[in-house]
Amino acid sequence: MTEARGTSHGAAIARRTFLAAAGVVGGGLLVGAGAVAWRLKSIDGYRLPARDGESSFGAWLRIDRDGRVEVVVPHQEMGQGIYSLAVLLAAEGLKLSPDSIRAAPAPVEARYANPVMLLDGLPMDDAALTAPQKAVVWTFDKILRALGLQGTGGSTSTRNIAEPIRAASASALDMLMRAASDRLGATVSTLKAENGRISAPNGKSATYGELAADAAKLTPAEIVLPPLGPGVYVGKGAPRFDVVPKTFGRATYGIDTREQGQLYAAIRHSPRIGGRLEHAVLSKQIAGVRGVVEGRDYFAVVADSYAVALAALDSVNAKWDDSKALNVSTEGVMSAYRAALERGVDYKPRWVIDSAGDVSKAEGKAVKARYDAPFLAHTTMEPINATALVTETSARVWAGHQSASLVQMMAAKTAGLDSDKVEVVTPFLGGGFGRRADLGYVVKAVEIASRFKGKPVQTIWSRAEDIRDDVFRPAAMADISATLGTDGAPTSFVYRIAVPSVTDQFVARALPSAKGGLMADRTTVDGALFPLYGLPNRSIENFTVDSGVPVGFWRSVGYGLNCFFMESFVDELAAAASQKPLDYRARLLGAAGDYAPARRGAALLERMGRFDRDNPLAPGADRAKTGRGFALTECFHSFVGQIADVEISGVNLRVKRVHAVVDCGFAIDPPNVAAQIRSGINFGLTAALFGKVDFDGGRVVPTNFDSYPLLQLDQAPEISVEIVNSGAPLGGVGEIGTPAIAPAVANAVFAATGKRLRSLPLALTGA
Amino acid sequence: MGVDLTLNGRPQSLESSRETPLLWALRDEKSLVGVKFGCGAGLCGACTIIIDGQQARACQTQVGDVAGKSVTTIEGLDGAVAEAVRKAWVRAQAPQCGYCQPGFVMATTSVIAANPRQSRDAVLGQITNLCRCGTYDAIRVAVGYALDALNAPQKQGSAQ
Repeated sequence: MTEARGTSHGAAIARRTFLAAAGVVGGGLLVGAGAVAWRLKSIDGYRLPARDGESSFGAWLRIDRDGRVEVVVPHQEMGQGIYSLAVLLAAEGLKLSPDSIRAAPAPVEARYANPVMLLDGLPMDDAALTAPQKAVVWTFDKILRALGLQGTGGSTSTRNIAEPIRAASASALDMLMRAASDRLGATVSTLKAENGRISAPNGKSATYGELAADAAKLTPAEIVLPPLGPGVYVGKGAPRFDVVPKTFGRATYGIDTREQGQLYAAIRHSPRIGGRLEHAVLSKQIAGVRGVVEGRDYFAVVADSYAVALAALDSVNAKWDDSKALNVSTEGVMSAYRAALERGVDYKPRWVIDSAGDVSKAEGKAVKARYDAPFLAHTTMEPINATALVTETSARVWAGHQSASLVQMMAAKTAGLDSDKVEVVTPFLGGGFGRRADLGYVVKAVEIASRFKGKPVQTIWSRAEDIRDDVFRPAAMADISATLGTDGAPTSFVYRIAVPSVTDQFVARALPSAKGGLMADRTTVDGALFPLYGLPNRSIENFTVDSGVPVGFWRSVGYGLNCFFMESFVDELAAAASQKPLDYRARLLGAAGDYAPARRGAALLERMGRFDRDNPLAPGADRAKTGRGFALTECFHSFVGQIADVEISGVNLRVKRVHAVVDCGFAIDPPNVAAQIRSGINFGLTAALFGKVDFDGGRVVPTNFDSYPLLQLDQAPEISVEIVNSGAPLGGVGEIGTPAIAPAVANAVFAATGKRLRSLPLALTGA
Repeated sequence: MGVDLTLNGRPQSLESSRETPLLWALRDEKSLVGVKFGCGAGLCGACTIIIDGQQARACQTQVGDVAGKSVTTIEGLDGAVAEAVRKAWVRAQAPQCGYCQPGFVMATTSVIAANPRQSRDAVLGQITNLCRCGTYDAIRVAVGYALDALNAPQKQGSAQ
């Protein structure tokens, strides 16, 4: 029997959830049930516009008279391989080779909403939903679909579009077969589709291109899709279509936009966060400079070339009004967290998001620890930039971004236009990681271009400005305490994290009319709440503490924080119980009974044990200490276990090897799943070993890769990935490699040295 | 007056001032946008080009520095080593977001071209580019593929 899971006050959460729906989703708009139903009907009927010679098959596919197939993708390609995944699924469904299909950006239409991303933020355990919670999710799904917000993030792209594309492809093939049956004079069951041609036993055949126009006129049939499973390409993978252009330097990103008559802008922000520009004046004439644009917290120099604009920034006399500027320092933020946690249950706002049993009757050996993690910058390899062309009646924006809907909405508002007058052009993204979901940079680029109507203006953030104007992964602090019974199992478990609300800040920036603070920010507690482990008396709490530093979504969001705190602490409990890390975790998973996430976790743990036995820790170099650490987590509905081997010489920590075990339900493209996991691990290692953004008097300290170092080629470990297809519903992939590496490394350091590192980035001291 | 150089094998002239970082002259004046801007400080290697056979950071090179020299960008990269490197990159499916990859391809090509008989580790030791997606594993594999292809004892069809 599994203990009850969910919130301690489900009804209250549900009520708040609905309030938030009005606030967050509506943004002041009233959403009635009738209006939602009506709008959904019209959205579901949406068909892709067909250009000359093309036939449209619903919302996802177009086939032209030469048989070229196009699948549209409402998600941005930022390295996660979503365009290739769409091609692969369409190829499978249409019985075509992937290289005869191309992927294109979907139009900015409500039909392509991503409700998954937002549903994941509801503070309830989807593995054990109560009936009222199911109703909330159902309702939310409808409202979110009606609202039609397109977005890429939260490891949702595949989850959002795999089934629709599979269905659309199967339906289109069925229509092509029926058209062929008419044309070829043979019953459908006798026809064969191969390489874009449908053949009849009588020897006659027709190509998809020849059949497309007739087929598109047929009424789509109700197709019952077989469950997702291995096929010709599905479950095996196919080469990614973007690899060749990216290798040859032909792939273009937002920053590569080159339009006729284009101007370039260099931007500089107030040195202190929150500072406002009073005025900015160019101190001398500079050839090629077109003007200076004064923004709220920035100025920009617009010139004929970026080099001229960038150099001219230093010739601008700017006066800043710092009366509302932040005076925040790293230590100040940490003190505020400490103070909040030390107030305990009296602190407000304190959200108990997940609780069970009774933590007050705890007995046994007490184990307590305090953990912390710093602010982090995204530093996408392609610095933040956007190009805008604004006229009196229209606007066009070229930018890498993570939400076409928000780009359109925010650009329209800035330019004083209706949304349908704004065209959004989306090239490849030179990294997203959550940074390009926060679209203040599009607003600024449109503000700047609005001063040069009729001219495309490309605004580029230098690396220092890219970091200065970031929305950071929040710093956080956690107090965790448990009591252990005589058998070492936790009799109580209290987890408290002090952290700002990323969601509230994000919503306030995107929809200033929306009201924040209505709901716990689940995203900052992910990785701690609804634990895999059997913790019958527990309380998982969020202490919302906002120091004013802009915070945003950063690859893996809360999982990156909480998995480090949680999985390090579980290791501490194992040590306190004098049990081996894997054995102890197995016991805790066993204590969760038939709770599905615990069973999936246990299956991974078993494989981790096998790897551990079969691959003994390699001896280190002369006098170096070595250690192996483990971590296990759920992340965006997938499960990941990691084993890290480290070598320590003095204060020098090297991560030599990492093995990851992954259950994302079913791997549609296994080589790409493995690539994403490797990427996530290296991304997480940068954070675990180096990542830290300090603040000093409201200023952002790091300015470039010398003061904000990234993991380098010679520091990157050898990584192996083992994929487990559990058959569970699809989980995320793009971010799930990131969270477990920091605790796996910290636990390996403990195994090697007996030192417990509770602060990120992990640093060994001489003592 | 412009600065004359050989750019991607052809005589060219750059009109940007001599102090202009070559990065921006190539990107904005010549629209060679395969040369990527990443840091502007010689730290990331996204703008790696080859000047007279040596890898160089375009952001740390001024237009005046390349007068009379031969500059190659990803757009003009050719030859047997470049071909092997690109083929290896595709086989290893190395890129993810891809933004840093032209820089890696340029650096790898120049290092291997200088001595195709080096070990994989020796080549990797001369590549200091950064990748935010963390494709380092795949890049190591790709470098191995490229060296294998170039050092294969008997290449099919190439025997005289």
